[in-house]
Amino acid sequence: MGGPAGRPSDQGLSRRSFLKGAGGAAAASGVLAADAASQEAATAEGAATLSGTTEVELTVNGQARKVSVEPRTTLLSALRDRMDPALTGAKLVCDMGSCGACTVIIDGQPVYGCMTLAARCQGKAITTVEGFGSPDKMSDVQDAFCEKDGLMCGFCTPGFVVATHAALDRKPNADIDELKYELSGNLCRCGTYPHIFEAAKAVQMSRAAGTGEAQEGAGR
Amino acid sequence: MSPDPSWGKRADLDVLNRDIRRVDGPEKVTGRAIYTHDVRLPNMLYARTLRLQTARAKINAVDVEAARQLPGVVHIHIEKEPGSEVRYSGDDSIIAVVAAETMEAALDGVRAIVVDLEKLPPVVTEKAAKAANAPLVNYSRNADSNVTTASESGDRAAIDEVIRGAAALVELDIEIPTQHHVCLETHGHVVDPAEREGFVHIYASTQNVSGMPGQFRRPLERDSDTIRVITPHMGGGFGAKFGAGLEGALAARIARETGRPVHYMLSRADEFTMAGNRSGSKQKIRLAANAEGKLIAVDLDAEKHGGQGRGALPGAPYRYEVENVSSRVVSVKTAADSNRAMRAPGHPQASFGMESAVDMIAYALKMDPVEVRRLNLSSEVHSRQLDTVAKEIGWADHPNRTAPGKAGDNGMAVGIGFGAAGWGPGGRASQCDVTVNPDGTVVSATATQDLGTGARTYVAAIVAEELGLQVSDVLAKIGDSELPPSVASGGSVTTGSSAPAIKDAAHQAREALEAKLEPVLGAAVGGYLWKDGQVSVRDGDGGQSLSWKAVCALLREPLVVRGKFKQALYRGDIHGIQAAKVEVDTLTGRVRVLKMVAVQDQGLPLNRMALRSQINGGMIQALSYGLLEQRVFDEQDGYLLSDNLDLYKIAGPQEMPEMVALIDDEDERESVCGMAEATIIPGHGAIANAIYNACGVRLTKMPFTADNVLEALYGKV
Repeated sequence: MGGPAGRPSDQGLSRRSFLKGAGGAAAASGVLAADAASQEAATAEGAATLSGTTEVELTVNGQARKVSVEPRTTLLSALRDRMDPALTGAKLVCDMGSCGACTVIIDGQPVYGCMTLAARCQGKAITTVEGFGSPDKMSDVQDAFCEKDGLMCGFCTPGFVVATHAALDRKPNADIDELKYELSGNLCRCGTYPHIFEAAKAVQMSRAAGTGEAQEGAGR
Repeated sequence: MSPDPSWGKRADLDVLNRDIRRVDGPEKVTGRAIYTHDVRLPNMLYARTLRLQTARAKINAVDVEAARQLPGVVHIHIEKEPGSEVRYSGDDSIIAVVAAETMEAALDGVRAIVVDLEKLPPVVTEKAAKAANAPLVNYSRNADSNVTTASESGDRAAIDEVIRGAAALVELDIEIPTQHHVCLETHGHVVDPAEREGFVHIYASTQNVSGMPGQFRRPLERDSDTIRVITPHMGGGFGAKFGAGLEGALAARIARETGRPVHYMLSRADEFTMAGNRSGSKQKIRLAANAEGKLIAVDLDAEKHGGQGRGALPGAPYRYEVENVSSRVVSVKTAADSNRAMRAPGHPQASFGMESAVDMIAYALKMDPVEVRRLNLSSEVHSRQLDTVAKEIGWADHPNRTAPGKAGDNGMAVGIGFGAAGWGPGGRASQCDVTVNPDGTVVSATATQDLGTGARTYVAAIVAEELGLQVSDVLAKIGDSELPPSVASGGSVTTGSSAPAIKDAAHQAREALEAKLEPVLGAAVGGYLWKDGQVSVRDGDGGQSLSWKAVCALLREPLVVRGKFKQALYRGDIHGIQAAKVEVDTLTGRVRVLKMVAVQDQGLPLNRMALRSQINGGMIQALSYGLLEQRVFDEQDGYLLSDNLDLYKIAGPQEMPEMVALIDDEDERESVCGMAEATIIPGHGAIANAIYNACGVRLTKMPFTADNVLEALYGKV
């Protein structure tokens, strides 16, 4: 929302500027330039060459998904707005990497979908909340969220479910303070944190006891 | 006939008053739950807003030609014509809305609009609004000042007389900034203008499903009974989502004009700018007590800071009993967004003032603040709850109970503080249909919305309890304006209104089934026991029973009954006490909450687990309010600086203390009501009282950020 009416918006212009700077890197991932020559051209010409819509293939929850993206399209937007059927589990809340509602896993690491360019995710394994389980076959974390009431309105919940999976993968025996740290990239307004911590603890206990079902989320 | 429906004794319940898993949990935790934000329709347009970023301006020209040429841009609505003014930062800031094939294209369109404008003085602070030559930003008819008298009561001279004879007098100046709701799902709608089955469909993130169709009558230019509003799930409301708002009207208008579905959800910055807030306040309080600690007089001078709204503040003495009260409250209008209802509107502000003052009285008299509260809260319930909470927080073993402590050599100090809550949750008018099908399936349907409270779950659970079924045997249908009407969710009225109607419908279904059973099992209506999926003759020898399926097979067609609100099943009069234990770093000013405890009554707990979640939620929002939250404007130009979650802080996982949410099981009332409002009221006051208890410093200015704590400790730097 820039222009004479006011200051540049955080959401649009910063990404565009980032693209200009990162043009070479985006091209190097093989998404936007097929060979070295056009890659060089892309770098030289900057944003102009990177504009337009390109079809890319993303591996989401173990499935190859073709999707048309612009260079500036975020992974979150690709999942939510450009895939058909859309994957709307990850949520758009702050659109600036402050709240974690869009958390997904890329190659084993939790990332903010709103801060990740879709074009740079080609060739990587993307897991969304939908990939961890379905209502009929929930992951252990998802089931524990239900059992401990680690959700209220549910809008932050997909991000927290993914972040909790990542936290427990990274620190299987995390104590409460470590858990809080691991989950500190996510925000909730209803106040579900205490029950999310209880859910994570329940998963730790069931995994330790070897009774956890569906320990590994699908597609990972 | 069997007796009227009743909730029955706690001990006789099989489903309610237990921990019930949410029926929509699996959908929500797997990302399958569809919120308005997630609705995707064929041929749908995305809309984005061009807002004035400062508070006030005269608009000379809005040039959309370049924007129109951009690929993907389909429609541009100009809200501010040349010659118009943006009068305040809020929905009046909308200059234009761009609808496009993608969200990105809509943003491109917004950026390409060129606005020629003349900035006007912002008047976004109360100081600016009260200045001698301040521009008039009070746009009420006939207004001639930005300051208006809201209420005045009592005889100040008489109060002064009482105060002169008091054993203790405390005076304090409270300052509370504006807080935002921060619903994680922003406000917005998806409007599908194509008529299907006689309806235009609107998906809405609302806490007022039944009340929404009428709000779209004008922008859609059609009768409200041909407008259907659907809210399958919604991402938080907290009082901000009763109306369709300008954004709803514009979504409808653009959908009507383009003939295409329009997805118009506010951006986060839009949301902070125009989707409401909890009004700020200033309160000058004088509170006097006699030597026994009995409060005898209170005098309040207060300002409400509600932007374009009037603000909310119930004032002094709030929950406490004080014989002599005088009070003057004014509203100061600024060119900022209007306050809206927010979880217990005005109450957390009033509570902070009075809880601070009562605490100061206790220490002035060298008395235990728990005992001073007990003496001045009229209710026996509060008295027993004080004992419960004091025990749980460890008050008896705490060293400083009648005088504040001091920081140790490392600068750290630990303290405990208390606060009281009450609320009168309403109950009225909701209805519910229960359908029992010959195949044994059961549907419980009411238009109500689930804001995250767990309403959807009790819509099923209450029916399951009455019919001896499991929660999973009953399908709950909610969030649809074509279902039996339900109240808007505000003031903790949802449970008090809906639960009796659901109970009534379930009871009617049971009686209708019992009438069918009379020729089969022999007992009259009212003579049956429904339990564990079986119906048997009460007081029978056990031989006369049928399974649920066999009972339903007696039906030739679906049995449908309409339940209505029943006054006898509801009672709204609730109490809570909260305590906080904090650690204050007197060298850095940092406050860490170590533990919070709340006890809350509400009559029959429908779902204990969901109640604990809501009690936690109340404590956490109060903690967040107390420690972190404040709206910040740039005073010179009127930019809203805190327009996203990087600069408007809410409590995250690392701020979480140990939390103990207790349901008051000494409350044995066989009635139901909501309780969400009560739980958000006293927490931040308890934290301020704990800070004082720790180190003798009274925080009267929120939030208790390090700078405000250091200022309180060492004076203004």
